[in-house]
Amino acid sequence: MSSKVAVIGVGNSKFGKRDDVSIRELSWEAVQESLNDAGLTLQDIDLTIIGSTAYRGVEIYPAPVVAEYNGLVGKAPIRVEAACATGSAAALNAYMAIRSGLAKIVLAIGVDKMTEVGTATSLAIGGRGGNYQYEFHLYGTTFPTYYALYARRHMALYGTTEEDMALASVKAHKYALSNEKAHLRKSISVDDVLKSRVISSPLKLLDCSPISDGAAAVIFASEEVAKKITDAPVWIKGVGYSSDTSSLASRGEWTSLRSAREAANNAYSMAGIVPADVEYATVHDCFSIAEIIAYEDLGFAERGKGVSLLREGQTEKGGKVGTNLFGGLKAKGHPLGATGLSMIYEITKQMRDEAGSVQHQFKKYIALSHNVGGTGHYAYVFVYSR
Amino acid sequence: MEGLPLYMKYQIPIEGYERFWEGLKKGEIVATRCKRCGNEYFPPRVNCTCGSSDMEWFEVKREGIVQTFSEVFSKPQGFEDFSYIVGIVNVGNLNLMCWLVGKPRVGSRVMLRTDGTRVIGDVVD
Ligand SMILES: [Zn+2]
Repeated sequence: MSSKVAVIGVGNSKFGKRDDVSIRELSWEAVQESLNDAGLTLQDIDLTIIGSTAYRGVEIYPAPVVAEYNGLVGKAPIRVEAACATGSAAALNAYMAIRSGLAKIVLAIGVDKMTEVGTATSLAIGGRGGNYQYEFHLYGTTFPTYYALYARRHMALYGTTEEDMALASVKAHKYALSNEKAHLRKSISVDDVLKSRVISSPLKLLDCSPISDGAAAVIFASEEVAKKITDAPVWIKGVGYSSDTSSLASRGEWTSLRSAREAANNAYSMAGIVPADVEYATVHDCFSIAEIIAYEDLGFAERGKGVSLLREGQTEKGGKVGTNLFGGLKAKGHPLGATGLSMIYEITKQMRDEAGSVQHQFKKYIALSHNVGGTGHYAYVFVYSR
Repeated sequence: MEGLPLYMKYQIPIEGYERFWEGLKKGEIVATRCKRCGNEYFPPRVNCTCGSSDMEWFEVKREGIVQTFSEVFSKPQGFEDFSYIVGIVNVGNLNLMCWLVGKPRVGSRVMLRTDGTRVIGDVVD
């Protein structure tokens, strides 16, 4: 067994409405980049974990077709799903396989084709991301509705405003401009957000991440292997995970995600750090309000004060803790299966000082990924060091 | 090219939950309580996490307080013909989802009823 696990190769496809490829060619873009990045060949891979939510594409059992196309037949016995945190679920499985000693080099692939169905169908699938029988079935909740319920409560309890939330979207779009793989590369203003059409009040179109196609791939290795094949490993120092009730009503609080707080605390304690040590973070900004709540759940800000980090620019490039400088889910895009691994792609580039114009300045090289599935139904927080 | 359409129709069992679904039709809103440990459940369930399956039904209080709400504009398949505000309402130990009628704010008092299909909260103030 290996007590340490490293990221040794990363790949990320272009995100967007990818009408030009099926799920297999889409995954190929990420897998090839990750192999080239690690300097490995397919023969080096012991095990492949494929993460895909799959419901919005024709391939509802996508793992075999993805594995076959990438030359991984015989090595891909597991597909995982954890809604919007599917990529992190794949990463955790890869991590566990290496920690256990079962495998030395594991490839995690996250991929989803989300735009093969229409928007109404997509909303009906997303609405099921909670409690089907007692919420969606009776009340027609959409996925944006769930976060809208959090947003409304956050506004009422803490005075957060629609303008405050818009700041998160504006920031995401600003950084996506320099990411050629991002889905939405267009600068927007607070006014644009406020004037965009209401999806589920108080959330408007530009408070929401887009429906994206995309893939990401990450190669993990044991300490022994990592030290042999790379001089720039990114180490996983802590993993935290948790989950929450399917039903939103029964949670009793709608301003913070209990699962994300628990995942963060577990990851911090395993890594032996405190929130103030984190210099860079990818946070799960599926909606503008989610970025604000993420700051609070991760302990970057007190409960109810998350928006102050946005107002003060503390999560910008050069701020106290840079977040989502590749554009976040909001503008980079949010292909559910890929997102968690795309976060690791981003963190690896940042930690290797390979992030170009959006390179964050590190002192201690401590980073964190925060990936939420559903409305906190799943939560994964990982801590990284160099 | 166009993929083959996939029509999925589901049959869902309500065995053990007839009281709830029949109740909605009659204007009743019910939840379950464990007779062993006293835990109350909404959504109702016929097994308690304490391990007991000895449960009883009880009527939920009709007066509640709005915890949060959202009016849905971009609607999912199946709800295109409705205009609705989803709310979460606190009634004693329980919080339940409903459609709100009126002009809600967080903290509004509501009176709960059903429309024969689902729970409706009429905003009082
Ligand atoms: Zn009990």
